[in-house]
Amino acid sequence: MPLTASIAAYFVVATAIFAIGSRTPRITAAIAASPFVAQLVLVVALWGGADAEQLEWIPSLGVTIGLRVDTFTLLLTAMVAGIGLLIVIYSWSYFPAPSTRARFYALMAVFTGGMAGIVASDELLGLFVFWEITTVASYLLIGFDDEKATARASALQAVLVTTAGGLAMLAGLILLADAAGTTTLSEIVATPPTGTSVTVALALIFLGAFTKSAQFPFHFWLPGAMAAPTPASAYLHSATMVKAGIVLLLVLAPGFADTDIWLTVVTATGLATMAVGAFAALRQRDLKLLLAYGTVSQLGFMVALIGLGLTSAALAVLLAHSLFKAALFLITGVVDKATGTRDIRRLDGLGKALPVSAAIGAVAALSMAGVPPMLGFVTKEAAFDILIEQQRWASLAVIAAASVLTVTYAAQWWFGAFAADRSNRDIDDRVGPLDTAKPYPAMEMGPAILAALTILLGLFPEGLGAVIGEAADQSVKLVLWPGFKPALALSAVVLAAGAAIFVATRGERAHERVPSRSSLRLPSADGWYAAAVRGLNVAADRTTGVVQNGSLPIYLAVIVTSVLALPLAVWLFDWDADPNLVWWYRGAELALAGVAIAGAIAATRVRRRMAAALLLGVVGIAVSGIFVVYSAPDLALTQLLIETLTVALFALVLVKLPRRFGVEPDSLARSFRIAVAVFAGAFVTIAALITTTVTPDTTLTDEYVANAPDAGGTNVVNIILTNFRALDTLGEITVLAAAGIGITALVTTIRSRKDREAA
Amino acid sequence: MNIRFSPLLATGTRSMVPTLVLFSIYLLFVGHDIPGGGFAGGLIASLSLLLVYLSFGARGLRRALPVEPDTIMGVGLLLAVTAGIIGAVSEGTFLTYTFLEWSTPIIGDVKVSTILLFDLGVYILVIGLVATATLRLGAEAS
Repeated sequence: MPLTASIAAYFVVATAIFAIGSRTPRITAAIAASPFVAQLVLVVALWGGADAEQLEWIPSLGVTIGLRVDTFTLLLTAMVAGIGLLIVIYSWSYFPAPSTRARFYALMAVFTGGMAGIVASDELLGLFVFWEITTVASYLLIGFDDEKATARASALQAVLVTTAGGLAMLAGLILLADAAGTTTLSEIVATPPTGTSVTVALALIFLGAFTKSAQFPFHFWLPGAMAAPTPASAYLHSATMVKAGIVLLLVLAPGFADTDIWLTVVTATGLATMAVGAFAALRQRDLKLLLAYGTVSQLGFMVALIGLGLTSAALAVLLAHSLFKAALFLITGVVDKATGTRDIRRLDGLGKALPVSAAIGAVAALSMAGVPPMLGFVTKEAAFDILIEQQRWASLAVIAAASVLTVTYAAQWWFGAFAADRSNRDIDDRVGPLDTAKPYPAMEMGPAILAALTILLGLFPEGLGAVIGEAADQSVKLVLWPGFKPALALSAVVLAAGAAIFVATRGERAHERVPSRSSLRLPSADGWYAAAVRGLNVAADRTTGVVQNGSLPIYLAVIVTSVLALPLAVWLFDWDADPNLVWWYRGAELALAGVAIAGAIAATRVRRRMAAALLLGVVGIAVSGIFVVYSAPDLALTQLLIETLTVALFALVLVKLPRRFGVEPDSLARSFRIAVAVFAGAFVTIAALITTTVTPDTTLTDEYVANAPDAGGTNVVNIILTNFRALDTLGEITVLAAAGIGITALVTTIRSRKDREAA
Repeated sequence: MNIRFSPLLATGTRSMVPTLVLFSIYLLFVGHDIPGGGFAGGLIASLSLLLVYLSFGARGLRRALPVEPDTIMGVGLLLAVTAGIIGAVSEGTFLTYTFLEWSTPIIGDVKVSTILLFDLGVYILVIGLVATATLRLGAEAS
């Protein structure tokens, strides 16, 4: 199971890095890089084969971690591990502090393990688990600067949106597995089930894929996620995590792409996202935000292609996008590192100071714009070609229009970052060409490799085309020179139009001429999110205010009456108890019961707290005496010890309270309390009496008694506690530990509040 | 709570605590065959801690404890879970009991049930809880 082991290695490495910490930075980095290298080697070793790996996880529920080892998996694994490795190298310079870097490496490893699992998973539940691993890891990565409130808020927003989608997806996956009768993806896709439940399942799965891949109207979390450190953004929010939804759709497409819901919902969502993202990108003045909206747009492009069933074209666009967008993000990181800003208005003429970065950025931006001979051109051309061939005119129109804007914002990114600024004279704090330009070779190495791949694969795309065709099981023609065809003409028009818009809008306050959402009076998804979160908090506040009103007597009354209400209702409808109640079996019980009753009544009469606690102790000890009478020494022992301890702990607290109870409750409250108490007491008494008349089924008891010696003892009561029902006991002691933590929290909170008041 | 030092109580405590602790350990070990077990044993040991607190105050109790009471609770829970995991690894299901056997040079073959480990966890956790409650509610809540 080499692939399974290679994925597990990420988690092992993450744990190891947490354990080693930052004392040995070089060793930590080497360990951090090792699983990525291992996976790349593994991809080469396994290339060309087709295999499956199965790992029983919860055999009793039929839950398996199943991976398929085929071209699709290996291609995407190479992408995930390859770009991941470059990010690890890049992070060495990006995070100067070894402790911060070690934390980043550990989180990166966790995240990549999840991502590598997603691209390889062939089992629905295993897929879901990997999916949520990436969600949790991305939460921690977005909120990496955990001292910044904005970073924490962005992380929370991302995790809420993607988890909500993930939960919907889980329901969808279960519905789908139920309809198909199997949890294996390849089997489901080979013989796709049909029917209403499948349509519902697909709709739910779409929610998961769309939230993860930042599709409209859930796209708003992605720009927020730019609070993450740049290497994390480059990896998660361009090359990997946001591709998870795309990967899921790609895997499902062969089985379901011809259904109505697929064709309409997926295509429409993708097109809308592509347009919205491209439009929003134009207005950004922050290099990273510009790229984020660009990513939203490109993801929409892929989703739209998948909606039309063009999986191989979508996969080609996905690969091209991962290469150029990761490079763009990493170069943005270099610019940020060199100047301390990512604001287009402040950056001025950096090209001279950072010529290598400018060149790499140019290659990546040209690929994004779709200029030959970059891979971005080849893949976009292939998409245009097949859309024209299949006469998808409406989709083509939207995609072409959005591509025009893509050209514009690609130019805005490069010129904004590197070109000499001739506009925006009113900005004073411009960052000019750096006097002391530091080269950033380690940080430029990763993007340089990505840029080189972008050019190489663009110049010689045929091999990649064959691999993608095999991976997606659908041929795609990737060529650098398509010949004089309508698609080429379209590409030329798109480039010319995009460049024209860029030139026309460049200059004084250009971005303000792009209509904003508020000027168009469009509802904002971000606003909906904020309103939903606010509403939830308000509802929770109100509920808490009603339910937790702070009155102990009311809590007790609610608890007691609700505990009794249900069995009482059952009784009223189903009364067939034996009326021959036996009131007592032995004389000793009567005496003990008398002591208990006297203690209980006295406890309600005394006005001193300590006396009441002691009288309750009397009740408890009398009850333990009854256990002795009935030959239950274990119960009696425990009860006796607990009573002793309780009274002692009571005493510790009571000395801090007034010696006497407070004001007498008024007569109405008093009669209410008496009613509840009498009701509860009568109910429990009758229940106990009736229970003793029932002849119990002794199957279980006999079983316990028979098996006790086997478990190593003769005291069946304790054997039940520690062997037969050990999980219950574990649960109970966990509750005890929680109570202990609760006491600590309560006391320290009160104390710190007192300290504050005193201060 | 200000504890007034009582020589009478202190002397009594000094002589009783070792016996109580020994008795609690006895209960822990015999629980499988006669009344006792980790919970009852833990409660007896806790009562001896309470005696220490009443005789020597919070500082005296802290001195008597090797580590923080919260840590004691954690150790107890950890032991119980470990017993469960040993069962999961060797028998396939979490908390399934099993016997650990090994040979020692002088005593010969030693056979210990994971149940004893589990019970030890309960014992320690109960002690930790009562110590926490005593110190927090007794000394710090004022």
